[in-house]
Amino acid sequence: MSDQPSGVGELTYTRVFDAPRELVFRCMIEPEHLTHFWGPAGVSTPLESIKVDARPGGVFETVMVNDADGSRYPTQAVYLEVVEPEKLVWTEPGTGMTTTSTFSDLGGSRTEVRIRQTNVPEAVRSPEAQAGFATSLDRFAVYLATLANDV
Amino acid sequence: MDQLDAAFTALADPTRRAIVTRLARGDATVNELAAPFDMTLPAISKHLKVLERCGLISRTRRAQFRPCHLERQALDAAMSWIEENRRIWAQRFDKLDAHLRDIQGAPAPEETAPHGTSRPPETAPGGAPPPSGSGSPGGTSLSGGASSGRERNEP
Repeated sequence: MSDQPSGVGELTYTRVFDAPRELVFRCMIEPEHLTHFWGPAGVSTPLESIKVDARPGGVFETVMVNDADGSRYPTQAVYLEVVEPEKLVWTEPGTGMTTTSTFSDLGGSRTEVRIRQTNVPEAVRSPEAQAGFATSLDRFAVYLATLANDV
Repeated sequence: MDQLDAAFTALADPTRRAIVTRLARGDATVNELAAPFDMTLPAISKHLKVLERCGLISRTRRAQFRPCHLERQALDAAMSWIEENRRIWAQRFDKLDAHLRDIQGAPAPEETAPHGTSRPPETAPGGAPPPSGSGSPGGTSLSGGASSGRERNEP
């Protein structure tokens, strides 16, 4: 359920976890937790590579390492907003992409995490992009992927 | 502005997305492309120029009706960025789900994690991911087949 109209160049991902909100929030800002899940499948995020200073202006840095070939993907972000245990906003100075994580308490020890990425990438900020880019753009990608198999 | 940015900008417009979708089924002339829209030919031509400039479509110079052709590679670059990003978050959330079960001492992935338990984790942290499909509903859906091996650079 979206609580506000989608912005420009926005992609969203939502997941419900069977865990209390405080715990899920801590997982997103504590290196000891992040190291267990931050890399996608086949990619590790070594504990010593994670720097978190969870306050506005503080850094959020990680190095993801591909398990197969050892290639490294350093990322650097800066927190814009930290509202425990509800909200985290960080931005990547390199790309301008901003990620907002919202933590909703669903009751019964369940927590919904919603990731909103905006400015994806820089160019979608342009006036041309004012046409509901995001909501349908990620669905469009999925649709085209299925279409590609037919052609 | 690089090609990928240009493609994103071009695809920000719903009419242009519809044109691209139509061309994914095969080449078409401007008249054919204009048919489903309540738009003048010049208006459609303008959209085609934007798509052409960023390399998403090409037009034959010699043929009289200059059929438009979708350049899949350019489109795929933009689309794979989105799918890659979605895949990363889906897998990251799968791992977080498993990690939360571990630290809460949940007995099995299929069962609802009892809250309030504080047993230490029994499985090695970061161990086996849960079977696919055990993820919570209501969220990140990975469409089948989105599985290129490349990783993207993002936090």
